[in-house]
Amino acid sequence: MKPISKTISAVVVDDETLAREVLREHIASHPDLSIVAECSNGFDAVKAITELKPDLVFLDIQMPKLNGFEVLELIDHDPTVIFVTAYDQYALKAFEVHAVDYLLKPFSKDRFEEAIAHAKKNLERGSSEAIQKIVATVRANDQPLERMLIREGSKVYVIPVEKIDYVEAQDDYISVRAEGKNHLKQHRLSNLEKSLDPARFVRIHRKYILNVDRLARIELYAKDSRVAILKDGTQLQVSRAGYDKLKKLL
Amino acid sequence: MHPILADRGALVLYLVVFLLIGLILAALLNVSGNVLWGAAILFSAPMALLYGLMCLSSWYVCRSFPLKTTGPTQIIAVFMVASIISSALWILIGEVLASLLSSFPFAASLSNRSSTQTLLLGGAGIGLYLLAVAIHYLVITLEQSQDTERRTLELKILAQSAELRALRAQINPHFLFNSLNSISALTTKDPPAARSMTLLLADFLRQTLKFGTEDLIPLGEEVSLCRRFINIEQVRFGARLQFEEQVPDAAKHYLIPPLLLQPLIENAITHGIAHLVNGGVIVLNADVHADRLRIHVENPCDPERPRQQKGGLGLENVRKRLDAISETEARLDVKEDNSTFVTDLSLPTFKK
Repeated sequence: MKPISKTISAVVVDDETLAREVLREHIASHPDLSIVAECSNGFDAVKAITELKPDLVFLDIQMPKLNGFEVLELIDHDPTVIFVTAYDQYALKAFEVHAVDYLLKPFSKDRFEEAIAHAKKNLERGSSEAIQKIVATVRANDQPLERMLIREGSKVYVIPVEKIDYVEAQDDYISVRAEGKNHLKQHRLSNLEKSLDPARFVRIHRKYILNVDRLARIELYAKDSRVAILKDGTQLQVSRAGYDKLKKLL
Repeated sequence: MHPILADRGALVLYLVVFLLIGLILAALLNVSGNVLWGAAILFSAPMALLYGLMCLSSWYVCRSFPLKTTGPTQIIAVFMVASIISSALWILIGEVLASLLSSFPFAASLSNRSSTQTLLLGGAGIGLYLLAVAIHYLVITLEQSQDTERRTLELKILAQSAELRALRAQINPHFLFNSLNSISALTTKDPPAARSMTLLLADFLRQTLKFGTEDLIPLGEEVSLCRRFINIEQVRFGARLQFEEQVPDAAKHYLIPPLLLQPLIENAITHGIAHLVNGGVIVLNADVHADRLRIHVENPCDPERPRQQKGGLGLENVRKRLDAISETEARLDVKEDNSTFVTDLSLPTFKK
């Protein structure tokens, strides 16, 4: 193998200039590490990671726009991640449980080397499934969901849940209807249902979750089959079970 | 609880002393009269023990007439009366006991007692009662001084824990560790800046500790604490964090409970500026109007920021503290519209 292929590309994500500088300083002593991008907020991080597909990401948790976990949720690419945080009791517990690399600010050179050595081992093995588990654990704690994050290409949309009209299942994807636009996201409707506020969002059909604020009326469509008519005129099928749930709520 | 009755050792010692006194009384009966030793002891020992117990009651009288607040004439009068009553009662019981005992042949000599001896016994009763009073006063004084000492110590510990609580409540771990991280970054890049950051942080922590022990401080001091806090955060956030303060000198003399304003500023940073890529300006102003001090903090915020994340804990604390001083009709109003966050604090005016 050529030596060039051994270079590990890294992205540094932190909203504080000084915090990025410390990382840069430590990374500089590793000739096999090269910083391909530095980002100071979540949007930039999603864009950089999606476009550059780095091997390694140094990721701050608390940032403007998107936090570190939200960034990971939005990328398809699975880099090895070293979390860098000052203090986050809940996340630290999750890191310990899933044996994920993290650095607590301020950290020593020794601690940095330890994390790098561990990350390199992970890179060789090519295993990063722990990250998605962590994201799931930490994100599940944020319930009920306040905002949906959707990435299209390298553009990120943050949709507050109250702006959602309804969500439709489409094979492996969900289509989120909000403010006159449809957004596609790789997600399961049943998982989304669990994280939404049940007082506002109802699974009215195998294929639909409805924001009940948008409902204008329900009409009988055929025997045992109803249709929900939304305020903007959209018609959605309502199953028998879905109708029962709606009745209970209204 | 009675200090002698409460302590078994002290009670035993006390009764032994009275038993010895009983022996002396027996000797008196024997020597000055014609009471036989056996009968004299049989009579004096229970009498002395009984009187010992009777004298314990003087504690309640001592407590009702504390040395500090009662005049000497009153004390003398009270205890003369009390001792005469006790002694008379004792003599009376003695007469009954003697007549009971003398019906037995082995104590028949008790009936040989003279009236002089009875008078002598009465005198001894008065003396012993007064002795017991002296002992009780001594015990009470000792207890009081120990109590004062303990209370002073307790107050000191309480003050210390108040300091620590203030520090813990005030110092957000995020703030502390991020600041330390900034110092760590500056040590190689810009040592003088690292030093000044360390000093800023030390000043801030020291002042916070000090405020924890005070009830009211001038607004000016709180504003200068906020300024320090902002200066520290500016090292982290750089140009993203800007601060404008318009507090007239006249308002700075008014007193406020300490550490009420700093959480508002911290809130403006952590839930406002920190979520904005380009940051913004925090505006602080204050004025005095119709006997109320009004403090106004305004900052830009991202309406799309996540809300639940333990948000507003600082504001919650401020509100709780205002509730605790509710008789002063303090108020905190929080408003958010679009991308501006406003906190208004309204307090009654106190001046030194």
